[in-house]
Amino acid sequence: MSGVLVWLLVALGLGVVVVRRRSLAVALVTVQALVLAVSAAQDNAAPAAVLAVRAVALGTLLLLVVSRTREPRPVRAGIAPIARAGLAVGFALALTWLVPSIGLDSRNAERGVIALIAFGITAAATRRATLFQVLGIVLCENGLALAALKLPGGSSTAIELGVAFDLTLVALVAAVFHERIFAEFGAGDTAALRSLRD
Amino acid sequence: MTSRELLALAVVATPLLAALGTAAAPRRAVTAIATVGAVVSAEAALALASIALASPQRPLVEKWLVVDAAAGLLVGVIGIVGLASVLVSPAYLAVPSTTGLVRVERRPRTYYALVFVFWAILSAIPLVGNLGGAWLLVEASTAASALLVGFGGKPRALEAAWKYLILTSLGLGVALLGIVVLAAGSAHGGLDALSWRELAHIHSKHALIAYLLLLAGLASKVGWAPVHNWLPDAHSEAPAPVSALLSAALLPAVLLVAWRSSQALTPVIGASAAQSVLVGFGLFSLAVAVPFLWQPMAWKRLLAYSSLEHMGVIALGVGFGTPLALAGVVVHVVGHALAKALGFYAATPLTGHEPRAAGHAVRGIGRTQGPLGSALGISLGALAGLPPSPLFASEVLIVAGGFAAGRPWTAAAAAALLALGFLGLAHTLLDTVAGKAPARDRTAPGLRGVVLLTTVAVPCLLSLTAAALWLPGSAIARALVQGIR
Repeated sequence: MSGVLVWLLVALGLGVVVVRRRSLAVALVTVQALVLAVSAAQDNAAPAAVLAVRAVALGTLLLLVVSRTREPRPVRAGIAPIARAGLAVGFALALTWLVPSIGLDSRNAERGVIALIAFGITAAATRRATLFQVLGIVLCENGLALAALKLPGGSSTAIELGVAFDLTLVALVAAVFHERIFAEFGAGDTAALRSLRD
Repeated sequence: MTSRELLALAVVATPLLAALGTAAAPRRAVTAIATVGAVVSAEAALALASIALASPQRPLVEKWLVVDAAAGLLVGVIGIVGLASVLVSPAYLAVPSTTGLVRVERRPRTYYALVFVFWAILSAIPLVGNLGGAWLLVEASTAASALLVGFGGKPRALEAAWKYLILTSLGLGVALLGIVVLAAGSAHGGLDALSWRELAHIHSKHALIAYLLLLAGLASKVGWAPVHNWLPDAHSEAPAPVSALLSAALLPAVLLVAWRSSQALTPVIGASAAQSVLVGFGLFSLAVAVPFLWQPMAWKRLLAYSSLEHMGVIALGVGFGTPLALAGVVVHVVGHALAKALGFYAATPLTGHEPRAAGHAVRGIGRTQGPLGSALGISLGALAGLPPSPLFASEVLIVAGGFAAGRPWTAAAAAALLALGFLGLAHTLLDTVAGKAPARDRTAPGLRGVVLLTTVAVPCLLSLTAAALWLPGSAIARALVQGIR
């Protein structure tokens, strides 16, 4: 996988942190997973197929959820897009500086993995919309898929299959709760979920 | 297939079959099928636990399956708590509800099916012989248990379930990065390289960073501080029988994965590094939990903070790693499970008797409803470590194990924190059971089952205290020190 491809994945990830519309963010993580699948296909077809199926299944599920929970206007994040992007990039740079080499094929890929995980955590932490928090998890998992593909011995189909199954399961459960929260509060906004404190 | 392999398969398969049975059963038969399924599942679990604990020096260790003393202990605990949770569930389901994740007529069927799926996944975690497999099961347990946490469908339950799902999934993502880094250091890659035995042969300069990532991620699921934020919310808002499963079974099962990882990676990263991380999480969790044990708060929320304290104590025990400390861990895991489950089960009649108990601290329950007050008192007394509670004995063993491990300052700090925690809970115990009480109706729905469980739990807890005297020099403690070899 070339450095250009890794940075394309990182750019798509940063897009999820910044964009307002849920459907656009879903499209970005889906394209990201498909790019991963296409690049994996050159080395090993089976993990690539698993990644592609997972990308399409998750993308379809999340777009279905978006269409079933139409909001009159996007849930405001509370932090401006430029500030979110700054936070995400700063967090990614800090992690890249803090975390030593983790043993992947190339240092570029390692930086890409760390950046995607940092972007995923930032998206989950700074976005109030429930669906964006789920997309934060998907972003992290895409980063981990990149790491698995860049293992010195290549990725294992069993690992990809297991992770894809678990991620889909978690996304399904999150979709159930997102719809329930939408029905209860009239918006998929985590600002409504702040009653439990000590 | 050997008898132990068959039994291990049965331990996971019986709750899965029970889940299918309850999902497909006619409405009137759901509770009966759930009860039968729970009894059979618990029998299988206890049979495997007996075999594993009777011959701790001869564990079955394969690529995908481990039946050793630690697995036997956890499977036994999960079986007992699973059975009790199913038996007390009719009282929870009988409470009329206008909200819920599913329609009212589907409520019992969905609830029992989810409980059994969760039970099956929980039982598989201690038995799986591979770190990658353990991660997949832990992640799958999140999906099943999140649905149960939010099962009530009320806004607070939805909030708790959402936090639980997002925070633990992100945490497990970090743990997965640790696993990927470990896999990168293996000679042949793939899942086989992640079996507990093979982990010891990883030659990687990145093993320490992998271990740190793995434990930081698992900590979010064990509920160790500082990544414990979901724990008080999920435990307090879940249905009471599910809270018991979360606290008494899920947390120690995930903690076992952390412990096995620590033992497996000790030859690679060194004993000091492997154990220090566990000790650090343990001591910090204890320190974070203690101030909350002094605050007046709703019963289930108090029990949740007590879980944070006890997971800290168990982490300290496995971190010290001496025979004394590990004997303490055995007693602590079982004693905590019995006392905590009893406390959560008592929450259903408690909120029936005093509705304010759902959101506030309550006083004088023993004055207005004696048997319920006894159940609350026995649970809280045992959890506080009030002698002759087995948790008193286990905490003494773990602290002594800390001194034996050459960590006197940590052991002394733990002893001081445990004493402070005891004082906080003792104060709450007196207030809740014998404090000044307002006038209340004596009704307490579901009380009979809780009284029955209390009469079973008391001799079990006392026997466990007696067992604490014998365990330190036993073959079980030696086998736990040795780990999987």
